[in-house]
Amino acid sequence: MFDKFSFSNIWENDGIFISVVGYLIVFVALLFLSIIITNFQKILVSKQRKKLKTVGHRAAEAENLEISGEVSAAISVAFYLHFQENHDVENTVLTIRKVQRAYSPWSSKIYGLREYPKR
Amino acid sequence: MEGINQFISFTGFANLTIGHIVMIVIGLIFIYLAIKKEYEPLLLVPIGFGILVGNIPFVENVGMQIGIYEQGSVLNYLYFGVMKGIYPPLIFLGIGAMTDFSALISNPKLMLLGAAAQVGIFLTFMAALALGFTINQAAAIGIIGGADGPTAIFLSSKLAPELLGAIAIAAYSYMALVPVIQPPIIKLLTSKKERLIKMKPPKAVTKLEKMSFPIVGLLLTTFISPGALPLLGMLFFGNLLKESGVTKRLADTAAKPLIDIVTILLGLTVGASTQATTFLTPESILIFVLGAISFMIATAGGVLFAKFMNLFLKGDNQLNPMIGAAGVSAVPDSARVVHNLGQIEDPTNYLLMHAMAPNVAGVIGSAVAAGILMGFLLKVI
Repeated sequence: MFDKFSFSNIWENDGIFISVVGYLIVFVALLFLSIIITNFQKILVSKQRKKLKTVGHRAAEAENLEISGEVSAAISVAFYLHFQENHDVENTVLTIRKVQRAYSPWSSKIYGLREYPKR
Repeated sequence: MEGINQFISFTGFANLTIGHIVMIVIGLIFIYLAIKKEYEPLLLVPIGFGILVGNIPFVENVGMQIGIYEQGSVLNYLYFGVMKGIYPPLIFLGIGAMTDFSALISNPKLMLLGAAAQVGIFLTFMAALALGFTINQAAAIGIIGGADGPTAIFLSSKLAPELLGAIAIAAYSYMALVPVIQPPIIKLLTSKKERLIKMKPPKAVTKLEKMSFPIVGLLLTTFISPGALPLLGMLFFGNLLKESGVTKRLADTAAKPLIDIVTILLGLTVGASTQATTFLTPESILIFVLGAISFMIATAGGVLFAKFMNLFLKGDNQLNPMIGAAGVSAVPDSARVVHNLGQIEDPTNYLLMHAMAPNVAGVIGSAVAAGILMGFLLKVI
């Protein structure tokens, strides 16, 4: 299995050159992508700051315009409560709707637990 | 009487060899690991069962057209997608449609961890060369260190189709064994103090950033490494379908039915390709050993690079070096392993989001590495 083993195989096939250059290219590609994304974020923030400045909002001067995860969560909860749990305008008509119940001995009061079970 | 004799000579019992028994046992182990231990069941069940299908002994080349390597057989048609590298880009489309790159966008420097972990590919490439494999075979073996099954299949189908079965099985086996292989290496290379580091929560990412990422990512990475176009093109396309918000149906199809169908076909045929008569060779065993070494080096490379980055990062910007191990692209298993290790050390330390960043960067990194190797070696051919 190891009869062909020789370090010279690496040298003869440009193994070191391909490995070093290949690894560097992977690094460069991802480094470039990382730099572009970082700068893209900066451009977006500066555009946002410009917009706030034109409106005259005081947040334009804030050092950090970023909204933290906690703040986002709090805003989301507030929206949820506002739209989903709106008790102030609850429809009270529902509470006086007459419920039709067909008679059945299974649901009858007469046979309910008010009577002691017969032995 | 002659008919009965022929029938008997055609049965599995008459054609059984030790190789078949060994492969059937391996298939059963895969199925056991998937069902009992729940190691990557979506991959190991199809592959394990495929190994059983591929190793039912039969008489080859008598016109029955049942073997995966026999022209015209059903399995051979299904295997076409593996041989020609059709399935891997489709899998990448689904992965793209499922992946949330927010963690990476919110902390782009973590992308370097995804690059660092690719050291396993290139060191194993050199080791395989030293062991006497041809340069194309060595590159295909090295890519196992990327811990990315589809990428490994894609590259080996282009550079060393003769080793495809062994490489695919090795790559998927090690992906499934992430929870076994990575923790000891991570623990060996990090101190308790380092494992306890809490990273600051990732910041919120805007929709515009999320939508721009696949476009910028595609243009940049494929201009540098055009060989990775089929993989990265599909990965970023799938992600744009998801993030654009206007193609929900397409994104859902790519992320659910399509990737499931392709996974079934890929898993089953890759498993069946391990037919004992062509698979059980000393070379295959060597590929398994090299694959394991490659995976370990990749894990160590990511962890050590995270420690190196910490030399330049201060205060709450410091990284928990364990997340470097997620730079191998076994998504999301290695991120999950890192998270679980963090939880063992401190149950209030949530590393999953942080580990997902190098994890998805690893997918991009290994595909870029595959493209680079293709770029180098297709010239040599």
